Amino acid sequence: MGQTLHTLRTAGTVARLEWQLEWRQGHQLAAVGLFAIASVYVAFQASDQHTGAAAWTAMLWLVHLFSGFTAIGRLFDRERSNVRRYLQWSAEPLGLMLGKLFHAVLTTTALTAVVLGAFLLFLGWPQGIESPGKPGLLVLGAWLGGLSMTTTLVFVSAVASQVRNGSGALAAVLGLPLLLPQLILATRLTRGALSDEPWVMLVEYPVFLGALGAGTATIACILFPYIWRA
Amino acid sequence: MKGRWNWFWKGGSVLLLTYVVVRGFCTPLQPGLVSATPSQLSVAPQVVDLVAVGQPFATSEDLPASFDVVLRSGDQLIRTDVVAITPHSVRIQIDVPPTMPSRALDAYLFTPASGTLFLGNACFVEDAAKGDVPPEFSASAPDPQEPDLGFSFPYQPNIMESIRNLLWHVPMWFAMFFIMGLGFVASLAQLRTDSISWDMRAEAAVKTGLVFGLLGLATGSLWARWTWGAWWVSDPQLNGALVTVLLYSGYLVLRSAMGDDDRVGRLAAVYNVFAFVMLVILLMVLPRYTESLHPGKDGNPGFNSYDLDNSLRAVFYPAVIGWGALCYWMYTLRLRMNRCAHHLLSR
Repeated sequence: MGQTLHTLRTAGTVARLEWQLEWRQGHQLAAVGLFAIASVYVAFQASDQHTGAAAWTAMLWLVHLFSGFTAIGRLFDRERSNVRRYLQWSAEPLGLMLGKLFHAVLTTTALTAVVLGAFLLFLGWPQGIESPGKPGLLVLGAWLGGLSMTTTLVFVSAVASQVRNGSGALAAVLGLPLLLPQLILATRLTRGALSDEPWVMLVEYPVFLGALGAGTATIACILFPYIWRA
Repeated sequence: MKGRWNWFWKGGSVLLLTYVVVRGFCTPLQPGLVSATPSQLSVAPQVVDLVAVGQPFATSEDLPASFDVVLRSGDQLIRTDVVAITPHSVRIQIDVPPTMPSRALDAYLFTPASGTLFLGNACFVEDAAKGDVPPEFSASAPDPQEPDLGFSFPYQPNIMESIRNLLWHVPMWFAMFFIMGLGFVASLAQLRTDSISWDMRAEAAVKTGLVFGLLGLATGSLWARWTWGAWWVSDPQLNGALVTVLLYSGYLVLRSAMGDDDRVGRLAAVYNVFAFVMLVILLMVLPRYTESLHPGKDGNPGFNSYDLDNSLRAVFYPAVIGWGALCYWMYTLRLRMNRCAHHLLSR
């Protein structure tokens, strides 16, 4: 009981620390937002208003994927080295992981809103679709897809941060294959939400995405203590 | 004692695989009809050739009279006369009736020794009217003969001779599962004990498993080209297989990025545990719930729903055991190399 409380308290502290770090180093948050909006604008310029549902979905998820990489890929690598050493000695690993996960979930939620908002602002709905039949499912899919990518990215970032040089490139190399299943499910869900398929046919996709995200988060929590004090 | 056991299973795997190669390539395929020429018919008497693949369904001494061909339109049968026969084809004389329930005709070839051969949508009659087949054109089905095919592989439309690939493609994945599972256990033990010996086992297992994964992809790609018409298609099973191979390549990238860092064993073990859980999800859970071109889908990616008949089973099971043992043998060699390298470097 006391142990659980201690873990939760650590998680809360780490999440608050992350939050403060995010605001103090405001340029990081701004950089991610800038990256997302600039990518959407590139997509908008390349597509000249005649984008079909397939290309629309592909661009949405490419932007989402690489914004996610920018935001989460260096999650374990951004404290100054003395703060990091302090955490390494004092923080309980599970609490630290939970705190980082919590922070990643918040960041992803905000990021999903920015990416989707910018997409609708610049590109609008794909050609031939006045408004999608299932906007709720579209938003839910973008959010859940982002979350299940994020939990994997947190794990990959934790692994890559232990490698002394070139951890950013390593996170990308390790992360992309791991994110393929989530992306396959998420793109299908988005395509389905844009089409006139009944939503009952699509229910399995959010369920799988949620299960995949929860599963990877659980494995990450179990394995993290082994990495952290290696 | 241990030495003798090693001789036994290593020699056994070589013998089994020799048996599989010989049996797999020398066993004939059961005959099956593949085409009818011409396939476009009109209402008139005409001659059609039906061509078969696989082992011959007739010998040169057989008489045309002992063979029967009927065409089926909807639920009615149309009479034909067999005029000539070769080991792999039959020529029929058919008087196409002016009316029939369906313009698409299925062909049935009744043979004395090889059972009944079937070709769906063999011919199409362009100018037939809808109606019943007139009695003077219709036929009744002859009694089917009990086939005597000997030891032969089953004929499947579309797959045909490539069914032999089952003996290569599927055991590759079984062997990969087996050796990656071994690597998973070794990585768990590594996390528990933090000993270099388990780390070497895990590395050897992943390297061996990757070889089999790549071979599985290659044989699968060949098979896809033959049966589905493309080297690669988007299919849950294929996506899962590719991601798995990429994932384990990531394991090697991680190891080489770490260089001679002391923590390489620990970190690699963590990644390997994660990768194996993903492998199980990707190859055994997700394909069960999504549509796939692979046989036995909609509920089971396993092999008991492949149309395995007894002759195929008699070669398939030895192939699985043989490839599995060969895979383990390769793993022990790789492990020995790792141990030698470690020994030399730590001197």
